Amino acid sequence: MQRDFHPLTVSGLQKEIGGAATSVTFDVPQVLAGLFQWTAGQHLTVRFLIDGIEQRRSYTISNPPVSALRITVKRVENGIVSNHIGDTLSVGDRVEVMPPFGQFTLIPGALQRRTHYFFGAGSGITPLYAMINAVLADEPHSVAHLIFGNTNANSIIFRDPLERLQTQYPQRFTLRHVLSHPSMLSWFSPWRTGRLDADAVQAAISETPPVAQDTQYWICGPGSMNSDIRAALQNLDVPADRIHTESFGGDTESDLSVSGVAATARIQLNGAWHDVSVAAGQTILDAARSVGLSPPFSCQSGVCGACVAHLSEGTVHMRNRAALEAKDISKGFILCCQSVATQKNIVLRFED
Amino acid sequence: MTKMYHNLPVKAYTGQDWFDREQQTIFSRTWRFAGLVEDIEGPGHYISVQAGLNNLFIVMGRDHRLRAFHNICRHRGTQLIRAVGKTQKALTCPYHDWTYDLEGNLISVPDEASEFPNGIDKSCLGLKPASVDVWRGMLFVHPDPDAPTLAEWFGDVDPFLGPHHPEELVEYAEGRNSYEIRANWKIVVENYIDVYHLSHLHSNTLHMYDHAKAEYGWKGPHYHFWEPPSAEYAKNHESNIPMPRTIPEPHVGAWVPMLFPGIGIGASEESWNLFIITPLAPDLTRIENRTKLANASDWAFQTQQWKSWGFWKDFGGAKYQGDDAAGEDDPMASGDFTTEDIYACEQQQKSLKSPYLEIGPAGVGENPIIQHQKVVLEFMQDD
Repeated sequence: MQRDFHPLTVSGLQKEIGGAATSVTFDVPQVLAGLFQWTAGQHLTVRFLIDGIEQRRSYTISNPPVSALRITVKRVENGIVSNHIGDTLSVGDRVEVMPPFGQFTLIPGALQRRTHYFFGAGSGITPLYAMINAVLADEPHSVAHLIFGNTNANSIIFRDPLERLQTQYPQRFTLRHVLSHPSMLSWFSPWRTGRLDADAVQAAISETPPVAQDTQYWICGPGSMNSDIRAALQNLDVPADRIHTESFGGDTESDLSVSGVAATARIQLNGAWHDVSVAAGQTILDAARSVGLSPPFSCQSGVCGACVAHLSEGTVHMRNRAALEAKDISKGFILCCQSVATQKNIVLRFED
Repeated sequence: MTKMYHNLPVKAYTGQDWFDREQQTIFSRTWRFAGLVEDIEGPGHYISVQAGLNNLFIVMGRDHRLRAFHNICRHRGTQLIRAVGKTQKALTCPYHDWTYDLEGNLISVPDEASEFPNGIDKSCLGLKPASVDVWRGMLFVHPDPDAPTLAEWFGDVDPFLGPHHPEELVEYAEGRNSYEIRANWKIVVENYIDVYHLSHLHSNTLHMYDHAKAEYGWKGPHYHFWEPPSAEYAKNHESNIPMPRTIPEPHVGAWVPMLFPGIGIGASEESWNLFIITPLAPDLTRIENRTKLANASDWAFQTQQWKSWGFWKDFGGAKYQGDDAAGEDDPMASGDFTTEDIYACEQQQKSLKSPYLEIGPAGVGENPIIQHQKVVLEFMQDD
């Protein structure tokens, strides 16, 4: 099953940016190789039992397809799982991992000819790093421009490998660093200081205007960065369908304006139908789990998209929907962890 | 019996029906050269270009991305679209002021309520999109919005076109000109790719290159050609080059490809030239030339000219001189290879309607002509 957990062995651990992040490489046994194929930009859900409590998190795969399966986890202050990975995880440990998924994907094409602009900040580099590598390796007529925001030179994840890419592909890859609080003592000279804001976006595009005219824009960062950069691009008349975003933590405030109603949800999961009572204000995910169902889920904050389902009847309100694009929503996809019912009868199906 | 010129009927060079079918099956279905990247100076600027039967319009948005549309107002088809306004975010047809955004969506119809009392669905009346892309500093358009990419079209021939980066060179304004040749466009192409004639028609004008050592061939519909400098030119080569290099040492020679259909490039150590062939009528063809040179100082040009003067002062001359020249205006006495080529093309075209015309065998160096005819035939058969 695509959304079942499988035990994978940790085959490598690499400290990044002085231990503030860790790259974890998994050994994928031959029998699972087909299931664990991925597209640049997708993520993995991992499950740990820490102090007797099940914890699930989604982390982006930070390698392009066909290389080792690797995630890069930045420590979050008081973060249960990120610090567990940083402090306790060892090579040889077995970790429960769900096969890769995610909508924020870049599929390279040997005969495609595109200009890709990547706007990333902090650990938002992880999917972009996989995508940039995929473009440089498998889309030889295309170019990639990365504009990368960080606090200071010491917090730049993948700084060295990115510089190596620049040396390896001088005609096809540009790298520009934006530092918000550069250290006075650092020799590192960024492209700009301050925020990766609308001015930086405009300057980057005028400096390296698109040559290949099929232009795509990929944004991944924390906080309001995604919506800020999207707005900056749209202000420059970039059409919405060329902009692709993925949120990394705390992007949007949850919309709690709709409380939801008590409802009956008819849920199809693994081919079987279940009638589930949903209390007013209860999420569909919580309702399903409370009656013993095991629908897929991961981040429980609307970011990862693991709990996506297709709503065929009734309506829901989503408190957060960062993992879905407008076109997904128009097709009826919902995030169960964020959805409260707004009609008494709803019908939904988890895709296999 | 149909009179043949190698693989094509002679009528392919003289008949209006062939010309019309070529406009449809070749020139409306391939990537068309639209200019140099710098022709569109910045956001809001636009150009239009004829691609076979299609008039296409290219405009740059504030995101510096180019958009191409068919220059046909969706109202009554008027070919008047232009970008207007302070921010040039709108495209408008001045006939009735229908206005489109930079994605081609119809955003405004004047007097909409009174002129169209039954309503008008603006969402179905957007400009028809076309394709535009940039390659080696050149703009290309294609009437089909889903055209194969330039990587698919030029990818295989690209490694044979020389080490030049045209986008880093500077246009030589005086090298930009346009003229007409009274010959079919294929006659002009065939002249361009005829290796045999180089040592003969141009015996005194192109002999700085060694035609016997030319390397040429085809990648799909595109012809590529390279030849090294002649022994005399190669001796003290760096001094003999007439202008500063456009390509780094040790690259030498002349790259003279003919991309399909009718996109000629002539690039050497010191220059990069375009020779764009546009059919106007069965017996009339327009040529547009653009030239780019090294981005170097006047001083660098001056010193290179001095250094090379010794080589060029006695170089070249007319094919026929003295009593052999038919007067002062004889193209064969011009000492200019383009004049020689135009003359040859026009004189060939003249005899194509003669009842006594009978084409002789093609030489080895004329193989590219045979191949070009095959490419034309293939496109015509895909009709």
